[in-house]
Amino acid sequence: MLNVEKIRADFDVLNPESPAKAPVYLDSACMSLKPRQVVEAMNDYYANYPACAGRSSHKLGDKVTKKVKKARELVTEFINAKSDDEIIFTRNTTEGINLLANSLGLQKGDIVLISDKEHNSNLVPWLRLRDKIGIVVRICPTNEDGTFNLDNFSQLVSGAKLVSVVHTSNLDGVTNPAKEIIKIAHQAGALVALDAAQSIPHKKVDVRDLDVDFLAFSGHKMLGPTGTGVFYGKLELLEKLSPFLVGGDTVESTSYDSYKMLPAPEKFEAGLQDYAGIIGLGEAVKYLSQFDFKYIAEHEFKLNAYITNELQKIPKIKIIGPEDPKLRSGIVNFYIDGTDMHKFAVMLDEMAGIEIRSGRHCVHSWFENKKIYNSARVSLYLYNMMEDAETFITNLKKILEIL
Amino acid sequence: MPCIVALIVFGIMGIFSASHRALAEEAFGCVFKRITFRPCNTGFAEKIKGKILSKLLVRSAFLAKMVNRHYEILSWIFFILMVGSTIWVGRGVYNFYVYGSCNGLNESGFCAFDPSGENNKVTSVGDDSSCGITQQSEQNVTLENINLSGFPAINTGSKDTVVFVGCYACDYSRRAYPDIKKLVENKKSNYIFAHYPAKGDTMFLGEAGYCVQKEYPEKFWEFNDYLFTADKDYVLNKSNLDEILSKFGFDVKKISDCANSAETKTAVQDQTTELKKTNLYGTPTIFINGKAFVGPKPYRVYRSAINKFIFF
Repeated sequence: MLNVEKIRADFDVLNPESPAKAPVYLDSACMSLKPRQVVEAMNDYYANYPACAGRSSHKLGDKVTKKVKKARELVTEFINAKSDDEIIFTRNTTEGINLLANSLGLQKGDIVLISDKEHNSNLVPWLRLRDKIGIVVRICPTNEDGTFNLDNFSQLVSGAKLVSVVHTSNLDGVTNPAKEIIKIAHQAGALVALDAAQSIPHKKVDVRDLDVDFLAFSGHKMLGPTGTGVFYGKLELLEKLSPFLVGGDTVESTSYDSYKMLPAPEKFEAGLQDYAGIIGLGEAVKYLSQFDFKYIAEHEFKLNAYITNELQKIPKIKIIGPEDPKLRSGIVNFYIDGTDMHKFAVMLDEMAGIEIRSGRHCVHSWFENKKIYNSARVSLYLYNMMEDAETFITNLKKILEIL
Repeated sequence: MPCIVALIVFGIMGIFSASHRALAEEAFGCVFKRITFRPCNTGFAEKIKGKILSKLLVRSAFLAKMVNRHYEILSWIFFILMVGSTIWVGRGVYNFYVYGSCNGLNESGFCAFDPSGENNKVTSVGDDSSCGITQQSEQNVTLENINLSGFPAINTGSKDTVVFVGCYACDYSRRAYPDIKKLVENKKSNYIFAHYPAKGDTMFLGEAGYCVQKEYPEKFWEFNDYLFTADKDYVLNKSNLDEILSKFGFDVKKISDCANSAETKTAVQDQTTELKKTNLYGTPTIFINGKAFVGPKPYRVYRSAINKFIFF
């Protein structure tokens, strides 16, 4: 079981000096808060050894190299990758997916299969390739309640070169059956990439158990720094990818008319890296690893169940995704027909410092298709308390009384 | 509609506050989209509505509910009020520039740019005349049917005519006098000076001036300038008059005899009577091409009255 009080003590933003009030932070699907350990690790880099990794042989450079290596090892272990070389540091999930899209060598007519509720970061890169080189983007419709339709998928995967789907949706919190998807896709001869931005922070993701080919996630949603992310690829596949960003630190040697690329992961990490961020990300992984994800999921479910139950009592509120909160991770995304939900977010913040996200959550395509203007999303994490959920419901009801 | 209101309100508040400046920028983005016929999908209008409603909701749910229900109408009301007040402010600024008072020519109500009403202060005329009294009632001050032929005048061929009615003892006349002199020099306008004894015993100076004009017309304006610019107490002391006259090389006896003559007294009295017909209620009163400016206005006011297009 999680000791939420102890966890909260690690987050300075949740423990402001009096008379400031701690925010009721319910927007972790967008950005998680950062524990002190992460911030201190980054500060330590900038204050005490702000040097280059992998280049300079002096003591400070050596220390950075070791710290970055350690961070890579921590991530490897965290997702159970086979080798550290399979871990490529990026800026975020979007960059990871773009790396794949631009390195895989897709040709005109190649089919990429995605679901109908992908984040823009797993939609736009493929649409752009469609426009640029003529790949075919195939959309797999999900069920009415947002759950994955394996039958549809099985039919549509035929002939696909790549399946790129979200693992846990930021729209409704539904976790797709990745293992089954991957199995079916592999049987059909397709590679599989998972957008794990929302799953990695909340559940144990084992890339070897899933047998996933590529996987991308962000540091900022898993207690880590902004501008950090990871792109995982099976080593044998990474060796075949041709990096789209090249230059410093990606080559073993160059002459005036030739160059010799380094192997993965270096060949994908062009230029000087965000060492402070990478070290902070390693610290975030270390911090998260102390918890059993089973308890994080249980905790989020408890809060989600309470909020869902209360929202379901209000007839005009519609929850996006399945009714059962167990299927929605830590996300409750809701809307009211004909109502701009931005004002709910503003009012909750103004009234009680409750911070939720309103808008289309970078899934514009789904909202356009469903003809829904926007929604308000509550997203929970390990530092949220039942009081947060109660405060949210109390104030939401007050707002609904006047609107 | 709320975006336009917000743009103006936050635009003004943004002059003093960075946080409101950011809101003004957001409002501008919204307004810009609307005026370029695009939907304002920035969420700004809802954000502002949310902020207003939440502030009200913590005080009164009923009030918040009412505002929410009639938000669009209230926005229109605010917009109309704002347009009205903007026009009103514009009018005030125009009036202040052109007339020296936000409220219009010779209007002495409160004006933010001239809070103490300096531009309208006059020495009131009548038995209980005293300095510093501002206009008490608007009257029809006019030069119509007034015979100004007996008063000193220069640049008589000019198309513009400036008539200065002032009192040597009145501080406000003394303040306005240099500006009128400057105006006449710059614009070469026809200039008529009329002394009106509004305060204290200044009749003797009026009579002396009358005689100087009669006997030494080429020296009158220099003499008049002196009476308005020299130390007031010295000038107003009757015993100093001879000394003043001799300073200018005048025949003191000749001027004294003239000033004490029945003919002069009658003529000066007739001039005062003629000036009363203008309905003037205080000095200085300056007529520029027939329009009366009561009180010491800023120089630009006089210049604007003569300029064809206010500024030039």
